[in-house]
Amino acid sequence: MNRSERINSGLNIRAYLTLIRSSIIEYMQYRMSVVVMLFGNVVYLVIIYNLWKAIYASVDTPTVGGMTFTDTMIYLVLASAQFCFMEAYLVWEMGWGIQSGNIVLQLLRPISFETYQLFVIAGANLFNFVLTFIPTFFIIQIVTDWPIPMGVNLLYYIVAAALGGLINFAVDFFVGTICLYTQSIWGINIMKQLMVTFLSGATIPLAFFPETLRKIVMFLPFHAIYNTPLTLLIHNDLPMSEIGKMLLTQLLWAVLMMAVAGGFWKVSEKVITVNGG
Amino acid sequence: MRKLKFYARIYFKILGQDIKSRMSYRSDFIISMIGMLFTNAVELAAFYIMFQNFNSVCGWSYYEMLFLYGFSLVALTPMQCLFENNWNLNGYVKRGDFIKYCFRPLNIFFYYISEIFDIKGLGQLAMGIGTLIFSWHKLQIPVTPLVLIKLILALASASLFFIGMMNFAAASCFYLINTGFLINTVSKFRDYAKYPVTIFNRGFRFLFTFIIPIAFIAYYPSLSVVRPDSASVLTWITPVYGSLFFYASCKFWMHGAGKYTGTGS
Amino acid sequence: MNENMKKSDSIIQLKHINKDFKILNRHEGLKGSFQDLFSRDYKIVKAVNDVSLDITQGEIVGYLGPNGAGKSTTIKMMTGVLEPTSGEILVNGRVPYQNREANANNIGVVFGQRSQLWWSLPLIESFKILKDIYRIPDKDYKDMLELYATMIDLEALYGKPVRQMSLGQRTLSDILAAFLHNPSVVFLDEPTIGLDVSMKAKIRTLISELNSRKNTTVILTTHDMGDVDALCKRIVIIDKGTMLYDNDIEHLRRFFGAYRTLKINLNKRGAVPSDDEKKKQPENVQKVLSKQFKAVDFSIEPDEEWVSILIDESQIPLMKVLSFLQEQMKIYDVRVEEISTESVIKKIYEGRG
Repeated sequence: MNRSERINSGLNIRAYLTLIRSSIIEYMQYRMSVVVMLFGNVVYLVIIYNLWKAIYASVDTPTVGGMTFTDTMIYLVLASAQFCFMEAYLVWEMGWGIQSGNIVLQLLRPISFETYQLFVIAGANLFNFVLTFIPTFFIIQIVTDWPIPMGVNLLYYIVAAALGGLINFAVDFFVGTICLYTQSIWGINIMKQLMVTFLSGATIPLAFFPETLRKIVMFLPFHAIYNTPLTLLIHNDLPMSEIGKMLLTQLLWAVLMMAVAGGFWKVSEKVITVNGG
Repeated sequence: MRKLKFYARIYFKILGQDIKSRMSYRSDFIISMIGMLFTNAVELAAFYIMFQNFNSVCGWSYYEMLFLYGFSLVALTPMQCLFENNWNLNGYVKRGDFIKYCFRPLNIFFYYISEIFDIKGLGQLAMGIGTLIFSWHKLQIPVTPLVLIKLILALASASLFFIGMMNFAAASCFYLINTGFLINTVSKFRDYAKYPVTIFNRGFRFLFTFIIPIAFIAYYPSLSVVRPDSASVLTWITPVYGSLFFYASCKFWMHGAGKYTGTGS
Repeated sequence: MNENMKKSDSIIQLKHINKDFKILNRHEGLKGSFQDLFSRDYKIVKAVNDVSLDITQGEIVGYLGPNGAGKSTTIKMMTGVLEPTSGEILVNGRVPYQNREANANNIGVVFGQRSQLWWSLPLIESFKILKDIYRIPDKDYKDMLELYATMIDLEALYGKPVRQMSLGQRTLSDILAAFLHNPSVVFLDEPTIGLDVSMKAKIRTLISELNSRKNTTVILTTHDMGDVDALCKRIVIIDKGTMLYDNDIEHLRRFFGAYRTLKINLNKRGAVPSDDEKKKQPENVQKVLSKQFKAVDFSIEPDEEWVSILIDESQIPLMKVLSFLQEQMKIYDVRVEEISTESVIKKIYEGRG
């Protein structure tokens, strides 16, 4: 029994790697979309750049909320690049799967549904990370004359981004599960997306938030998705204790959110078996 | 003319039935409405936070910016309400399900678009009108019939621009594989339509005026009301240009549908 | 047989229809995917290759072929969704792809399992919209609903939104919707796929009744030989884009009629053979038969407790085989079966492959 279990788990790891791989290959199939996606991002970045330049030009002081124009730009550009690789539209996929009944097919796989989705999304994220985030990062570095140190902070970022991605996945999976109870995929999704991007500091840096709002935001899990990895990447002068605290907070959120999402799914799965999708 | 009457009759029949059935899914309706209001509330909050830190943008005051914001909300509503099915097009084409729209004795674009009326867009409309009236009042713009006519005409043509852009983005999936991200990208541009185009340098002003015409969703048309003195010729040609742009987008959509060959079935 | 038909009776005509698709050559694996990003390596696939057909008003034609044979492509051309690469096509005297909307007024389509009804509307409301779209006169509409009411229990269906229907109910509704405007041709693509036996029977009866009452031409694609046997007098078989067979079903069976299946039971009444015996018995029969009739091919296989022997009667009469076997072994039960349509079609595919 033990032996066979071990063999099974060995096989499973291979199955997971295959999932990641096939998800990457699927993205590759859509070759034009890759090019247009890159073009879209460039235009989008230019908009942000001009907008904030104009905004900063309207005030007399060079820094606002402790951030210079360059700081703000780097933060926002990286935040949007991070959004690009993290957003895999899981809520939509799950919502559609539930409405069309196709989700039943995925439940038949010999892997838990949550794990299956996690690895598919991980593949998509990895693909987009290499294709959008890394080029964006180097373009910024070159354009703004290497403001981000190329040291151990990169390592912190990768760890923090992975944890952030995990939290993001858990939030998506949780919200996707809500679709089992309501037909309102759009309403659910838009609220989630805004909540995450706004409260995580992806739209406006948290530094600009009024004091009280910022305090509230820090008690929510969302800032761990964008604000933490980006802070770790951009700021090189953080004390070790601060870094440890940030990563630990992230880890706690990740574990907690994954548990909540998984538990909620377990409870809700019955809805499918009862209604037959 | 008879054809127009025929199409109008069918459109309102489907629309009426659709609204009726949507209302019966009360929880969906309520959640969507809340989602819509929530979206706009968050956007207003972001707006407010920005102006806490910065008092004006490119010489545009808080209330002027608020007017642009309200204007853009109203102008975006027709797309939201009437052309919502554009969002699903990529999925239908990808799964090979689009074929089901090809068997009716109706124009495919019309038939496809008529399928969904998005009632929650009305929440956005209410929010937009509220914002417009509030900023209008604060800016002390006089209320005369002429200004009202200008406003309505400006709003209508601005809507046509946005619908046109989304038509182009959605229909791209007929030509390239899996362009779902494109409608997302274009829809993201909408968030920047509410800023004065003057914040951009000349190259991008050209881009956003003639190529990805987001400047026509709020800036140019609303100049006619909020700053008539600085309105350029672009402001006054908006209705004509908007109609042409919309017409071209419909043609592009239909041409794409003609190209469509039921991929994968 | 088609030449004898009167021209006015012919409702669908295909003359030397071809349809080619341009397809990107994809490479395998991760590296291949990278290559494909920049590849311009296309190949031409002939989805339909020189197909000619002539279909008369009121016929039910079974359009058969394995997956990817070109069935859907042909139907898309007949419905005006696809333009053929070459060849002539006429439906109701019109060129479908040049007059898609006009053509659509005179046809009904149920395409796969993609419901064309309004997902969230009750069926009767969908019907009312269709009435407007097809401009069905009030009287015709009322008559049609009355006709429907005589055929199935509509009460259960009318008030129900399509999204809440079972697959069977949805298919039923889609078929009713396709016939609602009394079109001259209805295309049904896999109408019974995924349904249980009683629902299949219900749908077959409905199609056959509507066909005979309204003299509607029905083009039916299916994998289910039950559909073919129950509905089609004429069948057309296509594989890899090429037409293999176009004639009536009797002819098809007669052509293969030389084959019959002899089934013998070598077990005592009530006795259940072991797996081992089930394997051995056919082997034994094979041995005995090939010793006696050296020049004849038999295909012998186990079938539950039976041994089934496919005999080509142009080579040897079935009775001769049977009487010979009777001398060789104790036979407890005998059955003789005509070859099924399914095996005939399988033979046709095999003959090509």
